[in-house]
Amino acid sequence: MLSVKDLHARIGEKEILKGINLEVKAGEVHAIMGPNGSGKSTLASVLGGREDYEVTSGSAHFLGKDLLDLAPEERAAEGLFLAFQYPVEIPGVSTTNFMKSAINEIRKYRGQEAMDAVQFLKMFKEKMAYVNIDQSLLSRALNEGFSGGEKKRNEIFQMAVLEPKLAILDETDSGLDIDALRIVAEGVNKLKSPDNATIVVTHYQRLLDYIIPDFVHVLYNGKIVKSGTKDLALELEERGYDWIISALD
Amino acid sequence: MLHNDTKNTLINLSELSGASSESLANFMDKGFPTNKWEEWKYASLKSLNEVSLSWTPEPVSREVELPLFQQTLTIQTLNGQTSCLGDLPKGLSSMPLNQFLDQNAGFKALYDKRNPLLEQNSLYHLNDAFNQNPLVFCVEKDGALAASLVHQWVLEAHSGPTAIQGKIILYLEDGSSLTWIEQQSSLASEALLFSNYALEIWVGEQAHLTLYKDQDLGNGVTHIDHTFIYQAANSQVDLFTFSINGTFVRNNLHFYIEGPQVVSNLNGLYVPGEGQLIDNHSVVDHRMPHSESNELYKGVLLGNATGVFNGKIFVRKDAQKTNAFQSCKNVLASDRATMNTKPQLEIWADDVKCSHGTTTGQLSEEALFYMRSRGISADAARTLLLLAFVQQVIDKVQITSLRDHLSAKIISKIEQSWIA
Ligand SMILES: Nc1ncnc2c1ncn2[C@@H]1O[C@H](COP(=O)(O)OP(=O)(O)O)[C@@H](O)[C@H]1O
Ligand SMILES: [Mg+2]
Repeated sequence: MLSVKDLHARIGEKEILKGINLEVKAGEVHAIMGPNGSGKSTLASVLGGREDYEVTSGSAHFLGKDLLDLAPEERAAEGLFLAFQYPVEIPGVSTTNFMKSAINEIRKYRGQEAMDAVQFLKMFKEKMAYVNIDQSLLSRALNEGFSGGEKKRNEIFQMAVLEPKLAILDETDSGLDIDALRIVAEGVNKLKSPDNATIVVTHYQRLLDYIIPDFVHVLYNGKIVKSGTKDLALELEERGYDWIISALD
Repeated sequence: MLHNDTKNTLINLSELSGASSESLANFMDKGFPTNKWEEWKYASLKSLNEVSLSWTPEPVSREVELPLFQQTLTIQTLNGQTSCLGDLPKGLSSMPLNQFLDQNAGFKALYDKRNPLLEQNSLYHLNDAFNQNPLVFCVEKDGALAASLVHQWVLEAHSGPTAIQGKIILYLEDGSSLTWIEQQSSLASEALLFSNYALEIWVGEQAHLTLYKDQDLGNGVTHIDHTFIYQAANSQVDLFTFSINGTFVRNNLHFYIEGPQVVSNLNGLYVPGEGQLIDNHSVVDHRMPHSESNELYKGVLLGNATGVFNGKIFVRKDAQKTNAFQSCKNVLASDRATMNTKPQLEIWADDVKCSHGTTTGQLSEEALFYMRSRGISADAARTLLLLAFVQQVIDKVQITSLRDHLSAKIISKIEQSWIA
């Protein structure tokens, strides 16, 4: 589904990704862990198409298409979803309106007919139950004045609505208390199917108690320096990152 | 007097008969404003001093489409000639100023003591020179017109540069109310049009005026709009200026608060595009105590548009306990657009609450990426953010059909600008 080969990216003069290799297949859950500043969000942003980053070499393919050739909105329409570490405030636009625009733009891209108000309402009701989100939150300007937990829950709601093939969740657990974490994780698990895949970017092992990964990768200094199964995450929880880092030097 | 060698316009002017010589002299003394005038720094009309304008426009040649805002009456001013399409509704009367002054002593008293601020306003004098006896529309005491009146200011140039002037006076007697929807438009033409329009309004005690301006003028039109409003005690005015199109639009909007407990709400929304300049100069003159003015202007500047906002608030010595608020927010939707803002508060009273704020910014790149990552195209994302920005003003329009009409024009203008 996703095939990243020797991906290098920089911002300004600073090289941040220094040769990333990653293969994700349908039905899999991958966790990307690593200390702060190692490049996890950068990888997520580059895959999402943020224009601040310049890809200097390497490739990324998604469902057979050259991902790096596509605009961010085309990537979304192809089925990529990025849950932001820091969801952005969209002044004056409610989640409901925002999602209507997104859905209909994507449907247009795919050559499908626009959804009408009745269809939206039905679908929204269904998805709201997934993440236990309140209608009142969806009527407010998106992310404006939302608490950390509300922002993350809203990200998962959007994901539920858009039904992506590949979801990249960037530190979706950070800033969540344990109840919110459980709700978010349950949402992600409910959306899991043999046809889609998830990349969970996280700092802590905690989230992985709820979302069980098939593979765990350690990103350090712009490279994946170690990969393993969920046992690796447990080991990281116990021993920290230092043993991996010192083994590199 | 100006030199007569290059000032063709003025030569033509002085040959016209029927003008008030005093007002004309006032204009001739200064001519068209240039950017050397402080109040016209960003919006010079210097070039009009050199153009040979025709001052006697031919009648409009085509039928003008009537809007469907469920109005009780449509009034048209076609190339400066005003007429009513249909009978006046009960409670509304209309006659030329001189006749009205003879019949309505209350109005005459107000009219005689009028004292507008006319500094750097040579175009008001020019208008006045040729509009000595304009039509007055009067809403009778305690009368409330059930539906709104539409006034269409329509321009059409025939051959060559044309000047079109006109004036209307509204008088809301004590306790009356009126909704006035003004549509300013022009019929397609390439020729230069100079439009100089004045609307003077006296709002009686306890009276309530709602005034909407829909300015949608074609290429080549320079439109000057003088709207002067005199408010008596306990009156309220809700005014909206929607400036959607026009090569050069200058609004001189004056509020004279002449009694206590007055409420003046000024709302403006402008969306100038490629090759367009929209200039809103407002004056709120608090002359009496215990009154309140709220000014909310929003601008979206597309292409290489220029916007100007100058908001003067005067709080005179006697105007204690005044509350005056002003806000002007702008988005430069293109990096070729410019916006000039200047709030100007002059306060002589000591017990007042005044605040003002202007901002000019660009759309957030972060927000745009976030939206695009959800599948919304860059253009659609920009449109969505801009509409959200202007919604605050549009939502205040109480007439659904008018709100939809304005909204549709603004959306289409913003969308068109991405294609260009
Ligand atoms: N916009 C930026 N400008 C400059 N440096 C950046 C920018 N974004 C990220 N970086 C740098 O890139 C490195 C990786 O950052 P990031 O991808 O956010 O790490 P992580 O998500 O793993 O904590 C850090 O050193 C960070 O300072
Ligand atoms: Mg990060």
